Amino acid sequence: MLASAIFVVSLVSHIEVLIVLITFTIALTFAAKIVKRFGKSMTFFAPLALIAFLLNYYVFPVGLLTATNLALRLFAVIASSSLFFLTTTPDELEQVMRWFHLPPDLVMIFVIAVRFVPVLFLDALQIMDAQKSRGLEFEKGNLMKRLRNTIPLLVPLIAVAVNRSLELAEAMDSRAYGATKRPTSLYVLKYNFSDYFTTIAGIVMSSFGIYFALFGRLW
Amino acid sequence: MSQVLSVTPSSQAESLISIRALSYRYYASSRYVLNNVNLEIQKGEVVVIAGKSGSGKSTLLRAINGLIPHQHSGDYSGKVIVDGLEVLSAKMSELATKVGYIFQNPENQIFMFSVERDIAFGLENLSFKTPDIREKVDWALNTLGIRDLALRAPHELSDGQKQRVAIAGSIIMGQKILIFDEPTSLLDPYTASNVIRIIKNLHDDLGITILIVEHRLDLVSQIANRIIVLDEGKIVFDGEPRQVMYSSNLSVHGVTEPTIIRTTKLLDPGATGPGKSYPLTTHELAHELRKQVPRIGVFQKGSHEFGTNR
Ligand SMILES: Nc1ncnc2c1ncn2[C@@H]1O[C@H](COP(=O)(O)OP(=O)(O)O)[C@@H](O)[C@H]1O
Ligand SMILES: [Mg+2]
Repeated sequence: MLASAIFVVSLVSHIEVLIVLITFTIALTFAAKIVKRFGKSMTFFAPLALIAFLLNYYVFPVGLLTATNLALRLFAVIASSSLFFLTTTPDELEQVMRWFHLPPDLVMIFVIAVRFVPVLFLDALQIMDAQKSRGLEFEKGNLMKRLRNTIPLLVPLIAVAVNRSLELAEAMDSRAYGATKRPTSLYVLKYNFSDYFTTIAGIVMSSFGIYFALFGRLW
Repeated sequence: MSQVLSVTPSSQAESLISIRALSYRYYASSRYVLNNVNLEIQKGEVVVIAGKSGSGKSTLLRAINGLIPHQHSGDYSGKVIVDGLEVLSAKMSELATKVGYIFQNPENQIFMFSVERDIAFGLENLSFKTPDIREKVDWALNTLGIRDLALRAPHELSDGQKQRVAIAGSIIMGQKILIFDEPTSLLDPYTASNVIRIIKNLHDDLGITILIVEHRLDLVSQIANRIIVLDEGKIVFDGEPRQVMYSSNLSVHGVTEPTIIRTTKLLDPGATGPGKSYPLTTHELAHELRKQVPRIGVFQKGSHEFGTNR
């Protein structure tokens, strides 16, 4: 739900608004009790904002204000998307997608893509081990050679993935996939207090964002 | 059983699964994988289908649950009727409510992010109401004894647990028929025998008709009441386990005979041949041996001399 913050950021360039936005995001991480993981995620990504600042200020002919501004914007985007992905499980995301009446096929593509990332990763490791035991060295050589070395990994990996997808298709068909246009769900998405709160806050901030973008000043 | 001439419409309706003169060739394949297969399966049977790999076992299962011809194109002739539905003209989703299919690799059969969501998949597709789905999911969780796994993610499950989840997701629509394609081939022996016990319970408690593809007969011969051996897309044996396993040498057709059967055949080379009835379980073999060697206690007395310590 917090993704609306991204929308604000893309519109607004006023430092005051950005600071409010960032403060609000950080306050929400406290509310969601994920400060530790949020901090970890931010220490990993936040240097990007710093780099952006330095790059803008020293390399391109922009003022201090603009550079700070751009860096803060980036920071706000990173902060709010971290918050989003740390609070939302893929399962919830899938329910939200259904709630928005996205086509069932599209939702299923998302579900399977996310669900099989770790599975394909394990497949890749297994193929790498197999190829290594036949004497292939992935870590040797210059860039070109290394790139060429990924072919013995990618070709079997694609074969494995295609095979999996065929089996998946059979399994889905065997469980009445596509029987009706509008599948129901085991869970019903319920709005509780915190959802209302963040939604309203999101709408308020977005309206302010639009207002600022249009008129430049609050009064 | 196979009075081809005298099949009246009423006796046709009695078989739960009825396959007549089925031949099938995959699209762009040069040979027929199923050659004129005729098979009648009654309600409540536990049928094991054996045969070497490539003999058409999975293809036969696909023809029963409708993946052939609905998902695989190819040359199809003959007639398959499952619980009153003709497979060729029925909808795939309609067939899914009649036949549950448990695949060899349960990993590729669990799509959703949590166990209970995955089990609910079939009912969600059929647009059941949320409270009804809940009730049936709880029933399936309890039936398979996986209540405590309900909220786990698929990658947190062991192979045996995945297999149970796959079974739960395949009985949720109240299917009367369950088909298993090599359900134990990826499992360790202990987990494998657990899965076989679950399958037996599903049959005994819920009256579900079971078809299992297996080429290792050790595990399944004791719960089966019928064994079918396929070779090159043709049924070469079909009958009661005892009868099939003592009627000839099944290893020719790529089937691993249970140790009991091999032992008996070694002890009594005359044990192969039609019409014989020989032991099928360890108990029965022990009973036979005791009858013939009264003082079998000799094995107990000197057993340490036969032990592995030189
Ligand atoms: N999707 C397919 N397309 C083409 N040929 C197939 C396909 N699936 C299986 N076959 C072929 O059909 C034959 C029988 O396969 P299958 O029914 O899977 O045998 P089994 O399960 O007994 O090992 C094999 O020769 C196999 O190569
Ligand atoms: Mg097979």
